[in-house]
Amino acid sequence: MNSRERFLAVLAGEIPDRVPIVPVVDGYFAPKVIGRANDECYLDGACLADALAASMTEFGYDGAIAEMGLGPEPSVLGCPVEIEGNDVPLVVETIVGGRDDLENLIIPDPWSGGKMEPVERLVAAVGADQAVLGSVRSPFEYAATVRGLVEFMTDFYRDPGFVHDLIDAVRPATVKLAEALADAGVDAVVLKDSFASTSMISPDHYREFAFPSECDAIAEIAGRIPVILHICRNSMPILADMARTGAAVLEIDSPVDLAAAKAAVGSAVILKGNIDAVTVMEKGGAADVEAAVEAAMGAAKAGGGFILSTGDSIPRPAPEANLAALVEFGERYGNY
Amino acid sequence: MKGTLEKFELAIIDGNADGSADLADVIVAEGRATPAEIFAHLSSAMEEVGAKYETGEYFIPEMLRSAEAVEKAMSVLETYLFERKDGQAGIVVMGTVKGDIHNIGKNIIVSALRAAGYEVHDLGVNVSAKKFVDKVKETGADLLLLSAFTTSTKPALLEIIALLKTEGLRDRVKVLSGGASHSQAFADEVGVDGFAADVKSTLEVCRRLMGES
Ligand code: B12
Repeated sequence: MNSRERFLAVLAGEIPDRVPIVPVVDGYFAPKVIGRANDECYLDGACLADALAASMTEFGYDGAIAEMGLGPEPSVLGCPVEIEGNDVPLVVETIVGGRDDLENLIIPDPWSGGKMEPVERLVAAVGADQAVLGSVRSPFEYAATVRGLVEFMTDFYRDPGFVHDLIDAVRPATVKLAEALADAGVDAVVLKDSFASTSMISPDHYREFAFPSECDAIAEIAGRIPVILHICRNSMPILADMARTGAAVLEIDSPVDLAAAKAAVGSAVILKGNIDAVTVMEKGGAADVEAAVEAAMGAAKAGGGFILSTGDSIPRPAPEANLAALVEFGERYGNY
Repeated sequence: MKGTLEKFELAIIDGNADGSADLADVIVAEGRATPAEIFAHLSSAMEEVGAKYETGEYFIPEMLRSAEAVEKAMSVLETYLFERKDGQAGIVVMGTVKGDIHNIGKNIIVSALRAAGYEVHDLGVNVSAKKFVDKVKETGADLLLLSAFTTSTKPALLEIIALLKTEGLRDRVKVLSGGASHSQAFADEVGVDGFAADVKSTLEVCRRLMGES
């Protein structure tokens, strides 16, 4: 089985030769592998694609994450974005101060401004033997980003109607970008809902605001391409809801107990996770990676439906040796 | 029957911004409460909010809702409290350090400190060493609170401490640091005077350091 067959087998509900290994290596870590700065790569699609491809070749994992580039005028729906040095792109100004500003939102044309260049280049470079995943923000995350997280979460009580309207207004961005990724030939799309976790909001607020928008977006996307729903930090109290969104895969983070998660969702969805990107991958050593991988396999490998991954993006400062160890031990402990 | 101050405290805990502003109006109209009493109730409310977050009863929106209630109440009470300076706890400069844009934890602490009677100058996020030090100089701050949420902010923290020393201010201002992924060990390495991980202990450390200065 090649890497892509292994990944697709799991999506199809079959048991592959071993657990696929698809860590979250994106533009935060990959540029380091080719000795380039993160800002260079985010602003130059070829650099980003080459970094993501080189990292997969060098470390030998099964699937890459095709991040979109920032293009010449970095912006999230009209909010200016800056990237500096080896950081990640940051929204530096929010443009939605109130209801009137909804019309200032710019739903981007995915095919303009060079955003899709790294995706197309990566898909071409990777070929048919390895998997490529695309990645988009959820409507809830877009809404939080253009409003500013503090104002957005204060709105939950101040003006819940506005929260719903804002989420609805940005949903076309999620859907259009996901469709473009499907057109570009990626195998699955990661729907990132970083702020929807119960480390940030209550299960009730998740159900009121994030869950319906995940369902709506996934209903529009999933006909074209399988969706991997990513929620950072703790999501245990809402896992059963996440399993009903229509997502094929749930990407869960390290605070979630993998065995409990598997017990909670059964065979309804595939789990992808959940090695701690900071305490294990950045701060730990090979022995920590081995222990974490062995534990994850012990908790979730049996019966299939599992993809080994980090719980979140691997930070740039993480040692390359830890990524090598993730793959080595993933192969050692992942056989069926 | 609960007194106005007790009701006021509950309104803050419940994050009832309109209620807290209305009760602040009543407090001003009654004119009986001293600033020290008002601050005691406000800070006890924010400590309670912080405790509810630590135990998982509250999440971030509930904390932000209470912080907003504090801000609304303070805008009503400002003149009343300002005219009678006796409640004032100290002058604080606070911000999130350069290279870091996390602001939720910082905003909560800013409101809690205002609630406890501090005059707080919030410099926002991604703040340079020079801006911190200039503000400390300008305001004669007693306390400098640095929020740093990612561990890669260590050089930025070290730069602030070094600049305070160069400017001869290090002995005049107590420095605290805190934020997600921050530990006492990290704070020790950076060389600050205090560290705290939640609302209650932050207020305690501030009180202790004010006593020392
Ligand atoms: C929300 C969030 C974001 C949002 C921030 C939005 C905003 N407006 O703040 C966004 C998406 C922008 C973001 C970006 C990033 N983030 Co972030 N983020 C978080 C998250 C999920 C929650 C932080 C939070 O608000 N917590 C709630 C508040 C109430 O808690 P708190 O911040 O700890 O504050 C309390 C105390 O610490 C204390 N306190 C706060 N300040 C101070 C100051 C003093 C002096 C004192 C005494 C006390 C004190 O009082 C508060 C009261 O309870 C954390 C994970 C987590 N579980 O904490 C990661 C986290 C902080 N982020 C992290 C990272 C790595 C990043 C990024 C670098 C990369 C990425 N891929 O996400 C970027 C970098 C951005 C930058 N350069 O700043 C890491 C940091 C890890 C590390 N060891 O360095 C964390 C820990 C997640 C993780 N992977 O483990 N993030």
